[in-house]
Amino acid sequence: MINNDTLTLYYYNDGLTDDERNHVESALRSDTNLAARYGALSRQLSGWNDPETPAAPPHLLARWHDSIDRAAQSENNAPEIEKTGPFQFFSFAWGGALAATLALGVALGMFFSGNDVIPIPDGIPVEVTQSTAVPASFTRGLQVHLRESQWELASLPAEASTDNAQLLMQIIEQNRMFERAAKQNNSPNVARLLRAFEPILMRLANEDIAPEDAEALRAQLAFELNVMLTKLARDPSKEAHTT
Amino acid sequence: MVAVLKSLDSPTQAEFHEVIAARADRWYAACLRITRNPDLAEDAVQDALLSAWNKRHQFERSARLDTWIHRIAVNAALMLIRKAKPATWEPLESDVPDDTPTPDVVHAVDALNTDLAEALNQLTDIERVCFVLKHLEQWRLKEIAQELDTTVGTIKQALFRAVRKLRVSMADLRSE
Repeated sequence: MINNDTLTLYYYNDGLTDDERNHVESALRSDTNLAARYGALSRQLSGWNDPETPAAPPHLLARWHDSIDRAAQSENNAPEIEKTGPFQFFSFAWGGALAATLALGVALGMFFSGNDVIPIPDGIPVEVTQSTAVPASFTRGLQVHLRESQWELASLPAEASTDNAQLLMQIIEQNRMFERAAKQNNSPNVARLLRAFEPILMRLANEDIAPEDAEALRAQLAFELNVMLTKLARDPSKEAHTT
Repeated sequence: MVAVLKSLDSPTQAEFHEVIAARADRWYAACLRITRNPDLAEDAVQDALLSAWNKRHQFERSARLDTWIHRIAVNAALMLIRKAKPATWEPLESDVPDDTPTPDVVHAVDALNTDLAEALNQLTDIERVCFVLKHLEQWRLKEIAQELDTTVGTIKQALFRAVRKLRVSMADLRSE
C-alpha cells in the first residue's frame, strides 16, 4: 500500500530512492485508485502557488537602500586616505573608519543638537527635545548596552573568527532592540544613530576581514561609543516643550 | 590578478539598488513567511544585504544577483527564527511516521493563493518552515535538514504533517 506521504515525496521528486520511485511509477500505471489519489494530491500541490507578495513598507526599502550606501561609502573613501601618509598603514580600514565617522558624526550631531518635530493629531507640530523623548529607563538601558558593546569590542581577539562573528551578531541584535525601542519612543534620531553603527559592525563580523582593518574599525567604534556615552552622561533631563 | 579581476566583476552599488527596488518585496515576503514576524523579516533582509555586499566578490556572474540575495535572506531568516525560538528547533526524536489515510480532498485550485497564506498560519513553526522551503523555495530535503541541523527523516515528517494539515485547512477554507 503506497500512502500519501510517499506520493508527496514522489510529487516533489525528492527523498525517494531510485527503487522506491520506480515502484511508485509502476504502481501508478497498474492501480487506477492510486493514480486517482495521486492525481488529486498533485492537483492540490501544484495549485498551492506562491501566495501574493505583499509590498515591503517604503521605510524598509529606504533602510535597505541606505544600508548599501553606508556600506559602500565606508569603502569608497579608501583610495584617498591611502595617499595621506600618516594613516597609510591602516589603508582600507581607515577609509572605512573615516567614512563611518562621517555617517556616525552626522547621526550624533542630529541626536545631540537637533530636536525631533513630531506631528500630533490636531496638526500642530510639537518639538520635543531628544532627552525628554527618551524615557530615563531607556537611556539607562542604552548606556548599559553601549558600555557592554564597548567592552566586548575591546575584548575581541584580533583574528577574525566564527566566535567573533557570533559575538558581533549579538551586539547587532541588541542594537536593533534599542533601535526599535527608540522608534517606539518617538526618537528617530536615536534610532538613526544606532542604525549607523550596523554596517560597521557587520563589516567587523565578516570573517574575511584583515586583522589591521578590523583593528581600525574597532578603534573607531570604541571612540564613537565613548563619545555617545559621555554625551548621554552629561545630558540632563529636560522638560518637553511645544512651539 | 584573478582576485583583482574578480573584484572588478563584482556587483556594483547601482546593481544592488536595482535589485532592491525590483526584488526586495519578494525577499521580505519569503522572510515573513518563514518568521511570521515583521521585525525579524526586516532584519533578515538587512542582514542578507550587508552580508551580500561584504561578500560580493564571491558572487558568480553566471548566477542572478537577486536569487543569490534571496537565498542569503532565507538563510538569515532561518537563523533569526532559530535564535528567537530555540526550543522549537530541538531535534524531533519522537517523530514517527503517521500512516493514517488522509482524506483526498479534491477541489478546484482557483483562489488558493490567498487561502494558502491563511492556512500556513495554522502550521507549527517547523512544519511551516519545511513546507515553505520545500514547496515555495524549492530546496532539496537534504539542504533543509543541513540548514536546520537535523535529519532528512525529521524534515520529511514535518513536511508530511504540513501537507496533511494544509489539505484539510484548504478544504475547510474553500467550504466556508
